[in-house]
Formats: sequence, C-alpha cells, structure tokens
Amino acid sequence: MRRLLAALFALGFVAVAAPALAETTLEKISGTGVLTVGTRRGSPPFGFVSKTNEWVGFSIDLVEQAIKPAIEKKLGKVIKVELKESTPATRIPLLTSNQVDLIAETMTDTRARRDSVDFSLTYFVTGAQFLVKKGSAIHGIQDIVGRRVAAQQGSTNAKIIRERVPTAELREFPDQPAAFQALAQGQVQAYTNDGIQLAGLKAKAPRPAEWEIVGDFYSYEPFGMAMRKNESDFRAVVNNGLMEAIESGQYFELYEKWFGPKGEVPYPLAPENKRFLLMQVVPK
Amino acid sequence: MRYAFHWEVLWSGQSGRWLLQGLATTVELSALGWVLAAALGIVSGAMRTVPWRPLRALATVYVEFFRNVPLLVWMFFWYFGVPPLLPEAIREWLFRHGAEFWAGTFALGVYHGARMSEVIRGGIQAIPRTQFEAAVAMGLTTFQAYRLVIVPIALRLSIPPATNESLNLLKNSSVALTISVAELTFQTRQIEAYTARALEALTAGTVIYLVLCVGIAAIMARVEHRFAIPGLIARGG
Repeated sequence: MRRLLAALFALGFVAVAAPALAETTLEKISGTGVLTVGTRRGSPPFGFVSKTNEWVGFSIDLVEQAIKPAIEKKLGKVIKVELKESTPATRIPLLTSNQVDLIAETMTDTRARRDSVDFSLTYFVTGAQFLVKKGSAIHGIQDIVGRRVAAQQGSTNAKIIRERVPTAELREFPDQPAAFQALAQGQVQAYTNDGIQLAGLKAKAPRPAEWEIVGDFYSYEPFGMAMRKNESDFRAVVNNGLMEAIESGQYFELYEKWFGPKGEVPYPLAPENKRFLLMQVVPK
Repeated sequence: MRYAFHWEVLWSGQSGRWLLQGLATTVELSALGWVLAAALGIVSGAMRTVPWRPLRALATVYVEFFRNVPLLVWMFFWYFGVPPLLPEAIREWLFRHGAEFWAGTFALGVYHGARMSEVIRGGIQAIPRTQFEAAVAMGLTTFQAYRLVIVPIALRLSIPPATNESLNLLKNSSVALTISVAELTFQTRQIEAYTARALEALTAGTVIYLVLCVGIAAIMARVEHRFAIPGLIARGG
C-alpha cells in the first residue's frame, strides 16, 4: 500500500515539476548556493540521528567532506549542504521533482533503477549473508538446506533463497525485530539480510559477541549516490569528489570512523572491497 | 488515474499457486481457530451464568483478560512468549513442525473464544430463567440442564452474532502474517513484492476474503433456518 501511495505521489510530483526543469543541477546549485541531499534518518551508520540529536552518518560525511569541496572547486564559490529525509519509496520522486539534487543513503545501484536515475561510482559494497548464533553449523548459503531461515518479507534475499535453495524452510517476517527475536529464541536457525544490516543488528543486540555474520555474499548490493538522469557534468563532479576521497585515503578514514572497531556499526572492510574501491579511481 | 491493469500476473508464474496456498492456510488456520474458539466460548459462556461463584469468576477472568488485549500482542505472546516456557525437547519439536502456525491458531482461538463467550452468554441470558428452573424441577442436575436444555437453545439464539464473530475470526487470521504464517494476505503481499502489481494482488485478496465470508454467512443462515425451534422465535422469511 505504501508503495502504491508513493507511486501516486510520484506521478503528482513529476506532473508539477516537469515544466520547471530548465536549468542544470550545477546551475541550480550555483544559483541557490545550496546542495540539497536526500538521506536517511534511521539507517545507521549511513544516515541517522545520533544520541545527541544530530543528523550524521557515513554518507553525510562523504557528501560534506568529499562532494561539497569538489562542487565548490568546480563552481568557484562556497556552497551549503542541506539535508532532507528520503526513503526507498520517496527517493526517486524527490530527485526527479528537483526537491533534492543528490541521494546519499543506502541505495543499491541496479540496472532497473538506471532507467530512472544516474548513479555515482560505487562507494560501499555489501551483499546478503546470514546472522547465526556463534558456533552454528550454518556457514553460508550452502548449509541452509532443510534449515529454518528467516528473511524480511518481499526482500530480494528471500527471492534468491527461494530460487537457489527451495528446500530451505523460509520464514518471512514483515519487520527486522521480529525476525531477530525468532532467531534469538530458536524458532529459526539463521536470519538473512544484507551484511551491513546484520552488522547493525548485531551491534545493537544485548550481547553482540553471541552472534556471528557468516557466508560469502550470495547477492551483490553496490551502493551508489543517485542523481537526475543525463546530468553528466554534475555526475563527473560527484565522481571526482569520491575518487579524490578514495585516492587520498580520506574515504578510508571515514570508513574507520563509522565502521571501524569503535564505530557505530563495526563492519570490517574486506581486502577485495578495498581493492575494488581503489580500482574505480581513474588516473588524473 | 490511469493505471493499466495486468490481471495475468495473478495466474502467471507462481502467483496462482501462492494464492491457493495462502487460501488453504487461511482456511486451515481459521477452521482450527474457530473450533478452539467455539469450544472455549461455549464452555466459558455457560460458566459465566452458572449459580456457582468460583466458576463464574474463572470464566470472567478469562474473558476480560483475553478480549481486552490486542490480537497482535497475543500473536507475539503465543509465538515468542510461550515456547521458552516449554521443555527443550517439546520446543524443538514444535519449531520443526510449524510453531508459527500453531501459535497463530492458539492466538486466534483463545482471543475469539473470549469474544465468543460473550455471544453465548447473551444467548443463555435471553432464555427465561423459568426454563432452567423447570429443567431442574424435572430432576435434571445443573450440568444436565445446561447440556440438554440451556446450551442447545442458547446456541440457536446465538447464531447471528456468532456468525459475525466467525467472520471476524477469518479476517483476523491475516494478523498471523506478523509471525511469518504464509496465509492469504501474506501471499498477496508476496505477489506484490515479486510483480510490483499492488492493485491486482490486493484485489485478488479482497475478492477471495469476500467470497469466503459471504459463503460462510450463507451457510450459517441455512444452519439458523434448519435448526430453528418452531414457535420459539418469530422469524421473517
């Protein structure tokens, strides 16, 4: 139902906003002096409201410290960053209706989505894994035959499991807390979701050490920042900002801040992911 | 609004099978829940009217406790709250044999049993007190009077509100999707997730619920007619 409403809203927004689409994103930012960014309020550590009631996060830091300077350099003037709440249902309409210029949250770059928006280079990589009790016999998707596995209802992960391991007993829950409770009590033997989500869940659990995230990624979720389509100048500036952050090591400092052992959600950077990030940086 | 309906999503791919599975689960869940609710409702409804205070108190506690807490909470209670109280072996066995289905059945049955109880009590109290006194005067014990006279009449009087309650039970079975029971509403959402066709999936679900409910109401109307006691209640039609 929510998706339906979002779709209706989207239609409305597009209808209203279409005539205003005359200037490019860079011209708009230059004119207003503001870069408007859609991000999350409840998606730690990418974008969330901290204990001190500040809107912070890894994606927000990347925008503030990597993208904003790149735009300022390009325009030759100082700009401000304004944050707006976006959700999976509203983010594409927000972009296409010019209400935000950039989506920086937890959006997976997919070919289907590339029909409606353009993506920056990949700035975070995750994929589906399993959360299990420490010492469980489940070490990955190969071990779930005949086991009770919880998933989020309607998620791509549930879809993939149904196709690849039809003999697994899939239990789909509408929300994460119920699925985790079922895992904690033994109703299910594993809970599957994107690795970073599981890391967040584990970090918040009463006794994080009792839980283990296992398995190779059996789905691939590359996060990108989304922009309006056919804005190659703006996209080049955003990508330059990200590339410079990766090249200079600033990206990895921010990664350590949010995902390091002392970060909001500990999620070590796999060597192959680090290599992948570095290889996206093209020569100057 | 211009929306191009693609009704074929309901029978192409796995959608048709999912809808049928969902329908089967909804019917099973509701039927078992209904049997439990009817049994609890009749026993506790009768208990609330007997001339012995401890039994009345027990039934009152059951009714007020279970009908005044949301069904969703009961779902979580039976699914998450009860298993830890069971011995390890039973718990493991349950987890391997559809714990969520049985939790859903109990949640529905016990909750609606409390509501059904009030329906039955209403039926019993609509019977003139003299019926009970006449039964006892003829030498029946209280239990016999209830079993042979009071309850059979009360059940007939209670059919219309009990039908209402049964339809509620059927529709409320959708709450079981919160504890991962793959019933009808769950499956319509599943189709929506796979095909992004929300309106078609919701319409299919709506039509199935409607047909089920209208069917039950028609059957109950026939039951009411068939078991009516001539001369006891004035009826139209």
